[in-house]
Amino acid sequence: MIHPSEQISAYLDGELHGKELNGLLEHLSGCGRCSAEVEGIQQVRAAVRSLPILELPEGVVPEADADVVPLRRNRGLWVGAAAAVVALVIAVAAMVTPPPNTVSVDDLSNRFGARVSLDPAFSSAKVVIPELNVVGE
Amino acid sequence: MESVPLTWEEVARVYGRKIYNFAYRLTGNPDDAHDLVQEVLLRVRKGLANYQPGSFEGWLWRITRNAFLDDIRKRKRRPTAPLPDEVDRWDLASTESADAAYARVSLGDDVQKALLDLPFDFREAVVLCDIVGLSYEEISQAVSVPIGTVRSRIHRGRKLLKETLS
Repeated sequence: MIHPSEQISAYLDGELHGKELNGLLEHLSGCGRCSAEVEGIQQVRAAVRSLPILELPEGVVPEADADVVPLRRNRGLWVGAAAAVVALVIAVAAMVTPPPNTVSVDDLSNRFGARVSLDPAFSSAKVVIPELNVVGE
Repeated sequence: MESVPLTWEEVARVYGRKIYNFAYRLTGNPDDAHDLVQEVLLRVRKGLANYQPGSFEGWLWRITRNAFLDDIRKRKRRPTAPLPDEVDRWDLASTESADAAYARVSLGDDVQKALLDLPFDFREAVVLCDIVGLSYEEISQAVSVPIGTVRSRIHRGRKLLKETLS
């Protein structure tokens, strides 16, 4: 007996018609193996279709009336470059400024602020770097 | 006759989320999905002027697929950061609580991992069918293969998913 396995997904997707559809239905009525396959494929199909639909993150698409095309990011490169510059500034400052003997609340705030700017995990802000601006026709 | 979005803003509004979900399910990577949406919108804007009336879905998803494949080729030529698999790397809506976000994302973890294990051709066909919701005819146009090949790839992809998930 020939088992029309590859027709099963098409059948579940409503992509099987006419003689092919009738032939498969007739086959399924007498074939437990293919009927079980229909059930298994149906479960997988439902599992994929039930994956959460993700919303488009803010910042991917500009406002509808914007006349500039969204800008391609190069997040890793620019974050790395920015971090390198900040690290260099801190290193130079450390060399020329003696450490304070006491720590004020403002100092703690500033240190935390510096960490926020260096550690992407502390911020959800996106880094969008202009590479190409295409003005609307 | 099929209505065609006239501006890239309309394309972005109508298709942006689908393109993002397509890219995310193919890569499992939110940053890559983000970049792909922007690249596709750039190409749509350039290409709309020369768009010939026909299957807009086929045209759009061909652009999307080409942008995706171009990105893969570029990555092969330069080192990249490893793919993130941590939930906290997701770009989640700011109004969503952390617990709700984690529950929502974790829901499909096994299925997502199984998808990523599929050969690319099968994964692409399954995602275009089950996530994007294209017909076999539209997938055939987007991927430039006969409908019979689309049918075969979708079914073989699902069979492999079934083996992985069971």
